[in-house]
Amino acid sequence: MTALGSVLDIFKYRRKETFLHSLDPRSKFLLLVVLSVASLALNDVFSLLLLLTIEIVLLAISKSLNEWIRSLRGLAMLLLMIFILNFLTLPSGRLFTSITMVLRFVCLTSAFSIFFLTTTADELANALEVSGVPREYSMMFTMSLRFVPSLAKDLQTVIDALRSRGLELEGGRIKERIKNYTHLLVPLIVYELRRSLMVAEALEARGFGAVKKVKPYVELRLRRRDYSIIFISLAGLFMLLWFILSGRYAMFTSAVRYLFPEF
Amino acid sequence: MYLVDLRDIYFKYLGDEDYALKGVTLTARPGEFILLAGPSGCGKSTLLRVLNGLVPHFYEGEFKGEAYVAGLDVRSTPTYALAKHVGMVFQDPENQLFLSSVEREIAFSLENLGLSRNEIKKRVNEVLEIFGLEHIRHRAPYELSGGQQQKVALATVMALEPQILALDEPTANLDPLSALEVLTLVHGLVKKKGILAIVVEHRLEIALRFATRMLVMNKGHIVADGKPEAILPQVRHLIGYPPVVIAHLLLSRKGLAGDGIPLTPEDLAAKIIEVVKWRR
Amino acid sequence: MEAIVVDDIHFSYNGVPVLKGVSFTIKMGQVVAIMGENGAGKTTLIKHFIGLLKPDVGRVLVFGTDTREASVAQLAKRVGIVFQNPDHQLFAESVEEEIFFTLENMGYTLSEAKAICDTILKTFELDRYRNRSPYSLSIGERKRLTIAAVLCYNPDVVVLDEPTAGQDYYNKSKLSRLITQLKRQGRGVVVVTHDVEFAAQTVERVILVANGQVIQDGPAQDILTDAALLQKARLLPPQIPVAASKLMANGIRLSAKPLLAGGLYTMLVEMFNHSG
Repeated sequence: MTALGSVLDIFKYRRKETFLHSLDPRSKFLLLVVLSVASLALNDVFSLLLLLTIEIVLLAISKSLNEWIRSLRGLAMLLLMIFILNFLTLPSGRLFTSITMVLRFVCLTSAFSIFFLTTTADELANALEVSGVPREYSMMFTMSLRFVPSLAKDLQTVIDALRSRGLELEGGRIKERIKNYTHLLVPLIVYELRRSLMVAEALEARGFGAVKKVKPYVELRLRRRDYSIIFISLAGLFMLLWFILSGRYAMFTSAVRYLFPEF
Repeated sequence: MYLVDLRDIYFKYLGDEDYALKGVTLTARPGEFILLAGPSGCGKSTLLRVLNGLVPHFYEGEFKGEAYVAGLDVRSTPTYALAKHVGMVFQDPENQLFLSSVEREIAFSLENLGLSRNEIKKRVNEVLEIFGLEHIRHRAPYELSGGQQQKVALATVMALEPQILALDEPTANLDPLSALEVLTLVHGLVKKKGILAIVVEHRLEIALRFATRMLVMNKGHIVADGKPEAILPQVRHLIGYPPVVIAHLLLSRKGLAGDGIPLTPEDLAAKIIEVVKWRR
Repeated sequence: MEAIVVDDIHFSYNGVPVLKGVSFTIKMGQVVAIMGENGAGKTTLIKHFIGLLKPDVGRVLVFGTDTREASVAQLAKRVGIVFQNPDHQLFAESVEEEIFFTLENMGYTLSEAKAICDTILKTFELDRYRNRSPYSLSIGERKRLTIAAVLCYNPDVVVLDEPTAGQDYYNKSKLSRLITQLKRQGRGVVVVTHDVEFAAQTVERVILVANGQVIQDGPAQDILTDAALLQKARLLPPQIPVAASKLMANGIRLSAKPLLAGGLYTMLVEMFNHSG
């Protein structure tokens, strides 16, 4: 559970005063899209390492390297599993491809973490509202992010309470364990239903739904720094596409294969 | 003109066999601090929810009787419209605060009313100042202590400038010092703004000192209504006595304390002193 | 007899220190309150009692066994913990099955379990609900059921986390009586609470916690009458000590600082009815 908690931390907003934190959520979203496309499109160790370097620089700018490193430690088991599964199942070029897969996963996770570490749920909701999404839906989105930590905490409490009444969740046969885990679901679901009722009451009591069209308190505004990030993101995207579509990337990867045949 | 005017209210939740409210009649005026007490399940939370229309609009069921709050008919006014007149704060701050900063939390209620951005900014700043929350305006609610969270929750509903505050066990999750601070704040609002506060509380030892009036419910009925000093003896079996009242009861039998029920330790001390100073 | 020994434990959660060198001993036959503001680390502390959490530094001994060397289930047999919110702990289809669940985990046979269940449900005035769903009970009844579901297997030490939060007068008095009864049976009782009036009436010893450390450990009589000390843990003194201070300030010299109404009464009667 603590491991899961620290992995989720990679996506949890931290209030800090940095360049990235101050950007408009819409420009950060574009950055996220470009970084994700790059993570998925690139498939060799060297360009993925370059991408990861860029991401690490971005994380450093947003003063979030510590959170990132801590979460990677939490992810270590999963990364190892990705590596081993690839390594065992691939027919050839095993080491190289397995490392690529792990790198790709790290790049993709980091892209999302850059976004979520620096963007609050309500900024995001705000951006959605500005883009024409109705307030009910944007609010639903805010809520679902907002209550993830509460849900994790509730789950932990339920586990602790039932374990202290002798429920075995560690050893034992796998079938037994699965059955025991199902015990946790009942209180969790019941409690979350109660919670959603309490949240709904609180929303009603604060006048939610009184008017259809609201004017958000914080005005989203694209500033010069946003335009520069949008420009850089788009330029990066076009370069990437050009590199791939022109066949140059394929040439590059086969050159790499040729130079390092033993991988 | 009454702010709250309930006449013979009956309410039965959908699917329940018994009525949660059985003929409740209640009127209340501006400037009152009403402590609503009673055993759990007595109907006090349901009664509170009638005030802003959560009963019968959010919680469906069989509703009988007439209910007027701030001159509006609760039966035909939706909760979001009543929210302008009745600010409601609940027990668990975690489930009332959703956003990433105190300031936005307060703005949210105002956004919901469709106010202009300038008007929202003005009111947010006013409320932050009144509640002394300026230094934490950019902090996220989840970073705050429980006591601060409840103050923020109060601020979010007070931003709508309601005439009535309805609080459902607002201090149940707080340490005693924070509980006292929150109720002191509510008391201040009643004094300064002349609003009506109706507070459900189990912690009599903290809440009694503020109450100008006390209502005690049992099994869906209001069984006592009056000044706390006057009605406490009638409801001892339902809500118990705070320690100062027990001490007073013992001492007055021996002639060691003056008449009248004390609500605070200071009251008790004064009542003892007034009698024993002649004995020395 | 020493039931739980907490020996200089440190514990951090996600890099944030929660407990910073906590030590104390819980003995059998003693009713102890762990008091302090929310977030002081009280719940984290009691989770160490049965190894739900293990200290980063230091150790916890439960009847001589280091919590690192036993399973949670084994430790739970000796130390029963009742958590604060009933909704986090109840899950069975009926009240009766809620009790059976614990007993089955603790290795009781069905016929033993039935006998125990009958007794415990009567003790807790829950027998008329035995086939009802736990979720249909009132908040006070659900609280009683969570306690019954732990007490049923006779743990030597019982730990109650904020038992009075949100409870009415009737249930509070019931709890108070239950704790006295547990003490009389010679068990250890630990109550985590910030309800000072409840503590004043119920416990004999207070461990005051602030900022992940024990700032005072001693008789309830001494700690709960010390306003300055309580303030450090964001607690208010109970009503009677406050009234007593006012009396002292007005020249009425009480022989000691009373904690309860009865104590104040006795002192005043001795002072005035003898002299007068």
